[in-house]
This record gives sequence, structure tokens and C-alpha cells, in this order.
Amino acid sequence: MQHEYKSNYLSHVIKIILVLVVVGVVGVAVRAMVLPKSFGEFGHYRGDAIQDEINRPNRHGTNASCLVCHPYIREMHLAGVHSTVSCEFCHGPVADHVKNGKVTNKLPKKEGKEIKRLCLRCHNQIIRARPKESIKMISMPQHLEQKHVRTDHNCNQCHNVHAPLMWVNEAKAMVGVGEETK
Amino acid sequence: MMMDGIEKEISQDRRAFIKKVLGGTIAGSLLLVIPAGAMELSAIPEQIPGMRDDTGTFISKKRKFAFIVDITRCIGCGSCCVADKNEYQVPDGMYRTWVERYVIDDQDNVFVDSPNGGLDGYQEPRKDIEHPVRDTFFVPKLCNMCEHPSCVQVCPVGATYQTDDGFVLVDAKRCVACGYCVQACPYSVRFINPKTKTADKCTWCYHRVRKGLLPACVNVCPVQARKFGDLNDKDSEVYKILHQPHVVSVLKPDMGNKPALHYVGLRREVV
Amino acid sequence: MSPEHGAAVATALTNYVFPNDIHVHWSLMIVLYPYITGIVAGAFIVSSLYHVFGIQSLKPVSRYALVFALAFVAFATAPLLNHLGHPERAMNMMLTPNPTSAMAGFGYIYSAYTIVLILEILFIYRPTLVALKQKATGKMKTLYTILSIGSDNVSEKALKVDHKIIAFLAAIGIPMACTLHGYVGFIFGGVKANPMWATPLMPVIFLLSASVSGIAGIILSYILIKTFTRKFIDMDCVRTLIKFLWGCFILDFVFEMLELFSHAYMATHHWEALKDLYFGPLYQSFWVAQVGIFSLIPFVVLGILSLVKLPDIVVKVLGSVMSFMILIQVILMRWNVVIGGQLMSKSERGHAVFHPLWFEKEGILVSIIIMILPIVFLFLLSKVFPFWLDDDPAVHKQSV
Repeated sequence: MQHEYKSNYLSHVIKIILVLVVVGVVGVAVRAMVLPKSFGEFGHYRGDAIQDEINRPNRHGTNASCLVCHPYIREMHLAGVHSTVSCEFCHGPVADHVKNGKVTNKLPKKEGKEIKRLCLRCHNQIIRARPKESIKMISMPQHLEQKHVRTDHNCNQCHNVHAPLMWVNEAKAMVGVGEETK
Repeated sequence: MMMDGIEKEISQDRRAFIKKVLGGTIAGSLLLVIPAGAMELSAIPEQIPGMRDDTGTFISKKRKFAFIVDITRCIGCGSCCVADKNEYQVPDGMYRTWVERYVIDDQDNVFVDSPNGGLDGYQEPRKDIEHPVRDTFFVPKLCNMCEHPSCVQVCPVGATYQTDDGFVLVDAKRCVACGYCVQACPYSVRFINPKTKTADKCTWCYHRVRKGLLPACVNVCPVQARKFGDLNDKDSEVYKILHQPHVVSVLKPDMGNKPALHYVGLRREVV
Repeated sequence: MSPEHGAAVATALTNYVFPNDIHVHWSLMIVLYPYITGIVAGAFIVSSLYHVFGIQSLKPVSRYALVFALAFVAFATAPLLNHLGHPERAMNMMLTPNPTSAMAGFGYIYSAYTIVLILEILFIYRPTLVALKQKATGKMKTLYTILSIGSDNVSEKALKVDHKIIAFLAAIGIPMACTLHGYVGFIFGGVKANPMWATPLMPVIFLLSASVSGIAGIILSYILIKTFTRKFIDMDCVRTLIKFLWGCFILDFVFEMLELFSHAYMATHHWEALKDLYFGPLYQSFWVAQVGIFSLIPFVVLGILSLVKLPDIVVKVLGSVMSFMILIQVILMRWNVVIGGQLMSKSERGHAVFHPLWFEKEGILVSIIIMILPIVFLFLLSKVFPFWLDDDPAVHKQSV
């Protein structure tokens, strides 16, 4: 019986072991080839990923990046109580405005009812969660009634958005009312 | 310098200056000449002193950054959320940072909401609270930059990693978007970005910090409710807060993740 | 979204869900993945009951169970690949497996297990494949030459070596099958951020439900295939399988209930949220479907089938119906764990909703296709590997 077989009784076992070894060796070789060079440089991650993250383009600058080209606004903005308010919060990121030292787009300016909505994001007294130490709040429309102006007035009709008390104080100075601080 | 000239002119006579701007004589020159380029880093003063000289692979060990959110100052304006969305062009419905509003009534019922992550601000009060309100405040949320980050632990491919300087970042070139980190994060700050199809989260603006700038959200916060600074700098605000008596806590301390994000005035109701 | 709309959403929810928790990132595909690997592990265990533990009455299905496992293991990665945001990077799992990640081991555990399974099938079928090769012509001859590993040696000496290898493979196969599936449970059980998943019982429950689904799959397909091909059904084998199914299901069901019971009894602050989940969005799929219909009915009927001597036809009909119900029970359990666990926001103050769509990337239609593929593959495998000993040309020469 045994003599009829062409193959050795262990040939299939040896072939399988060979196949498994080849798969293993090829696997190790392929891994060495496709693994990014910086992988494992600092830990179990691609070391170059850190530089990739650092190189992410900045879309926001700081208020200084805006005010360097807008000196008039700069003077008003920095003198008023809104000096801590970010230009880019209301107008959008500087990257949408300037590219490679050139103006590419005009940034939007809030107008009309949008202004009121924007002001009330911070100053609306009805939202009670706001700490008084942080911000001065007003109720609408009581504030307008109190000041004897029409209730459809927009905030920026009395308040310069960059220096909210500038016009108020100027007006008070003109009519001789005692000057309010800031 | 052109700018100096303009500034001088403004300070001499503002009204005349405005007239000239309106008349168009200065406007042209203002628009065309951008001194030093507003997006060039050299034009923007450093917000973190000395960072631009720190050019190693990692931030020098002399620095240890911490993020502090002061709940007693936050006004819930959502500037941080807007800045964050614009800085990273975060797709709608995903949030790297958000602001929650807590309302606690005198029966100790806790009501929390965060419509659109606070991106549109809070214009309306909650109208579904029957009992008198005992306490109400805003809580901004962002990556906790854990010392023992669950997301790094579970990432199967080493795409989420912790740098030697303590930042937890995502390698968008290796992430397979299995979503395991999203499940593992106890703070739910992670999401799968539908544009890149990779995991994404707040990085404390690592790219800005390394360029000497504050994180975008810290930079825009009008009331300094978000503070970022070096714990090894004894003059920094974060050092003072964490080294002097303050009500300071972290989120979910029992998770054992040891967040580097601290909260001033954190109430026990906040999760 | 306008703020007005946002406010409406916020108040419409009874409670608060973290903004990023509204998305259920692990959807239907991740329900199917443990389901398929569970069937694989369970079927392998059936085969091992004969090959390792010597349960003679299971001999008729011992080889079929392995081929059945192979048909499913071939598609275990299909739902995962469809789920990944970057399937082209899937090999990163094997290239840079993170030693601290519970998920990173999957690539290697799955591959090792698949290799063991394929080798075991090739060795067990070798005499058959050699005999079929001699009869085959053309492409089939080439296929059989490859499958019989280019050897025609079926001498006693060769088969003795084969037997030792088979015993070894079956022996390491059991812990591997248990690892493969217990480990899938651990992928969930190790997520400390999710109180529904984070329990040491999770791997146990996954493993037990895997055994249950595998045995049920074997019973159902055995009876169906034999009935449709009008072949002899070995009732002793079916009855033994039903007993094992009942036994495993007792453990499975008890542990599933214990897990919930411990949460409820310990009543930590997590329980408030879990209770809202189990009695809220999961009420229908958990209490009504998984527990009420698809656990209690099979639990009782399988008990009767195991303990009372009933006519063959009753055993056949009830056995296949109960097996089918168990298969549904297990997929419901996967759904309730995988989807349910994600519905609860990590705010523990509310839950999201999830309704799968028919025609999305990870939708219902794709799920159905993925579940049909192993069955199609099993049909193809039947053309190569004779499932039953009575169809085997080598069986008169050599009993396996």
C-alpha cells in the first residue's frame, strides 16, 4: 500500500510550515518597508505627526494682527471697555481677510438687528447665569425706556461697538454732565 | 514708516482724518499697504513669552502648560465656540469645545442644556423650570488633556498619542476612524470628523501655542474665563490659581485620568 | 441651527446629552461584528466537543461545524472594514498594534485563529481531499491539489501524524476561540467611560452568547440543509446539540440577567441613567424582544426538549424554531449592548436616539447583505468540502 504514494508522509506538514514561515518573513519585510520612518521615534506614534500639527495653518491671529492695519479702530478699541473683545469674534478669522500680505476678502460687519443680537449675547440680563463681576448687563427693552429712546433703537445708535461709552461720555461732556469713568 | 505717518495724522486731527478716509484719499493706501503682513507671525507679538525661541521637537521641559476654566467668570457668550469652529472649520454638529448652561432649582433638580454647543450664544432663558432657581452658571468644555488619557490607551494603531510635553494629539494620517477613542473618552470631547473621516478633538491649539500664541478660545474670551499658561512660571495666572487657596477641581476625578484641565468654582453637579 | 430651534431641542429632551454624544459612532456594523465572531467561536466549540472532548453523538456535525465556522470567519472583518472611516488603512492594526489597546490585538488574534481553523479543516479533510482529487478533473483537480497540500500520502503513518496535529490544533483552537470572543467582550467591558459596558461580566456574557449562537446556527442549518437535500437527520446528534444549547443558554441568560441585577441592586449613581435607558429607548428591544420573547420562550421550550422524550418531528420543528429564536436573541443582545451603551450620554443625564436607515453606508440593507455572504460562501464550500460523512469518498477507507 505505502509504496503507491508519490509524496513523503511528512511532505504536506513541511510544506505548510514553509508557507507559514514565508508568510511571516514576508509580513515582517513588508512591515519594515511601509512603516513611516519616524514611527516609534518618541513613543508609539509617528514622530513627524507633531510637526504636521505644528504646521497647521493659523486661521486666527490676535487683536494685534488686526489693529496693526486699522489704527483708527485700534485707538478706539483699546481705549474702551471692549478692549478685551476679540476683533475676530465679530468679524471672522483674519485668514479669511489677508493672505500673503494681501487683502483677499472683506470681512463682514454686523448691521441692524444683528448688532442687537450680538450685543445681547453677552449683555442680556435675562440670562441669569452671567456673573455680575464679569460683565455689565441690561434688560431690554427697559434699558431703552429708561433712557427715553425709541424701543426699536439699535444698540449702536448710542454705543460705538468698539468703545461703547465713547459717544456717551462725549455727549455727557458736551452737555456738562459729570464725566463717567471710561 | 507709512503707518507711523497715518497714526500721527490721526492723533493730530481725527475728524479731518475721517473726512480724508471717507473722501478716499487715505483709504487706498490703507487697503494696499499691509505692514509686515497681518498673518506673518513677526507682526503679532508673542502671547506666551519666549515660546518662539523654543524650537525643539517638544516644548522645553522648563514649561508645563495648564488650562484653567473659571466658571465664576464665564458669561456664556460663546466667543470661544465661534473662534474654535472658525479656527478648525469644524463641521456642523461636531464640537471641539462647547459651553453648557446649568440651572439648579431649590429642589436640587439640575437642568443642563447646550443648544448647538453654545455656538449661537444664549439668547433665551430656560422656560421649563417650575421652582425658584438656586444657582445658575455656564461651564465651557474642551479636551481635558489627561495625564492618563483613555483615548491614547485604546487607540489600536498609535494614531492618538501623548507628546512629551503633555499634549494629546491625533495623527490624521494614521487614524483608521474605528471610533474606539470616541467611546473611551469619559468627557465626550472626541468625534469622527465627517470631512477628514478621522478622529478629531480639541488640541488646546497646539499649533498656536508652539508659535507663541494663546489657544484661539483663550485669545477671544472677553472675560478671561479661559486661562492658559505655564505652571512653572510663578508669575503666571495659572500658577497663582493652582498654588493659592481656590475652589479648584477637575471633571470626573474618579475616572483616574488626571486631567490637566482645571476648573475654578466647579460645582458638584457638573459632570 | 437657529438658537430657537436649539432651545426647543434642548427642552424637548427630558435631559441633557453631551453635544458629541448625539452621534452613535458604532452602528449596525459593530452589532454584526461580535455576532459573526460569536457564531464562529460557537461553531468551533461544537466541533471541539467531538474532536477534543469525545462527545461521540456530535460526530455527524463535527466537520460541518468547522466549515460553517470558516464560512463566517471569512466575513468577520467585512462589517469592520465597512465601518472604518479609512478602510485602506486597516492594516495599520497589524503594522503598528498599540500594546495598550484592547482593540489592537484583534488583527493578530483573528489571523492566528483563522490560520488554526483553516489548518484544522485541511488536516481533517485531507484523506477526503486526496480521494476527491483523484476523481476530479480540470480546475477542480488543481484546487484539490492545492487543498491537499500537494500530497497524496494517506498512509497510516501519515494519518497518525495528521491525527496528532489535528488534536493539537483542536486543543489550541478552543482557548483561541474563547480568547477571540471573550476578547471581543473585553473591547466593550474595558471602556470605563461607559457604565453599561464597563463590567467584568462582559467577556463572560459575550463568550456564553457566542457558544449559544454557534450551537443554534449549527442546529438550524443542519436540520434545514438535511431536510432540503432530503437526507438522513441524525436525531441523536440533534438532541445532544439541543441539550448543549439549553445548558449554554441557561448560563448565558442567567449571566445577562445577573449583570443587570447587580447594576440595579448596587444602585450607584450610574443606575439612575441605566434605568432610564433600559426602561426608555431599550424597553422594546430589551425587555419585550430580547428577554420576553426571544429568551423566555426558548428557555422553557429548550428545557422541555432536553428533558422530555418527544417524537422526532416535534424535536426537528421545535429545535429549528428555537435555534432561530436564539439566533435572534443573540443579535438583539448585541444590539442592546452595542447601540444601547452608546445611547446613554456620558453626561449620564440623558440619552440619544438611534434609528438605522435602510440605504446608508452602514444601514440595514448592507447588514443583510453581510449576513447573507457567509451563507453563500458556505454553499460554495459545500461544493469543495463534503459536509457529511455519508457523502465522503474517503470515509469507507478511513474514519475521521
